[in-house]
Amino acid sequence: MGMIPERDSQAIREHFSENMTGDVEIVMFTERPSLIIVPGRETCETCEDTRKLLEEVSGLSEKVKLTVHELAAAREQAGDLGIDRVPAFVLKGAAKGSVRFFGMPSGYEFSAFIGDLVDASNGETDLSDDTRAFLGTLTEDLHIKVFTTPS
Amino acid sequence: MAHQMAVESEHVTADVIEATEFPDLARRYRVRGVPKIVVNDSIEFVGALPEPDYVAYVQSAIKSSGNGSGPKEQEP
Repeated sequence: MGMIPERDSQAIREHFSENMTGDVEIVMFTERPSLIIVPGRETCETCEDTRKLLEEVSGLSEKVKLTVHELAAAREQAGDLGIDRVPAFVLKGAAKGSVRFFGMPSGYEFSAFIGDLVDASNGETDLSDDTRAFLGTLTEDLHIKVFTTPS
Repeated sequence: MAHQMAVESEHVTADVIEATEFPDLARRYRVRGVPKIVVNDSIEFVGALPEPDYVAYVQSAIKSSGNGSGPKEQEP
């Protein structure tokens, strides 16, 4: 049994097929389950499930590629992408800015993640003309954090 | 909407953070309701807002940092 119900998988596959124009890469950072318990060090409880979920999503379209890095072995690349904790991933494609997730995209966030993949594939969104005009005037960097919960 | 802005602009970095997985961040940013949005660590709001209101908050973050312009009536 996969993480995504079969009916949803089929719907997402069709959604990707009908709406994606370019390739998009999910660059994930994770950590391997440790067999050794280190006092004071927290284990990543959602890393494995997040990886499985992303593997299933990437299997729903040839345009979606998943690359998985161990954070401990890829500190420099993670640092370049602003990743300092796991699980986390970045969507690379036609997105002009940086689209990052920290934690597993479940519940409502899962559908938002699917939409983000399509947007990152196409390099465009359904934001209004007014919003796009505002974004076009930006001359300094903006960092927006959105805190969510699974439900 | 934050991620959509990041798709559209090279100047935008947008993070979706699962608060229960990162309680240290949730504490640091005093997350008591979701979605909680924090812009440039200076402007914050809670709840799903219509796009114009959301953008107004973002604009006010730019204004509070001393550059750009945002509508005065939208000061959070």
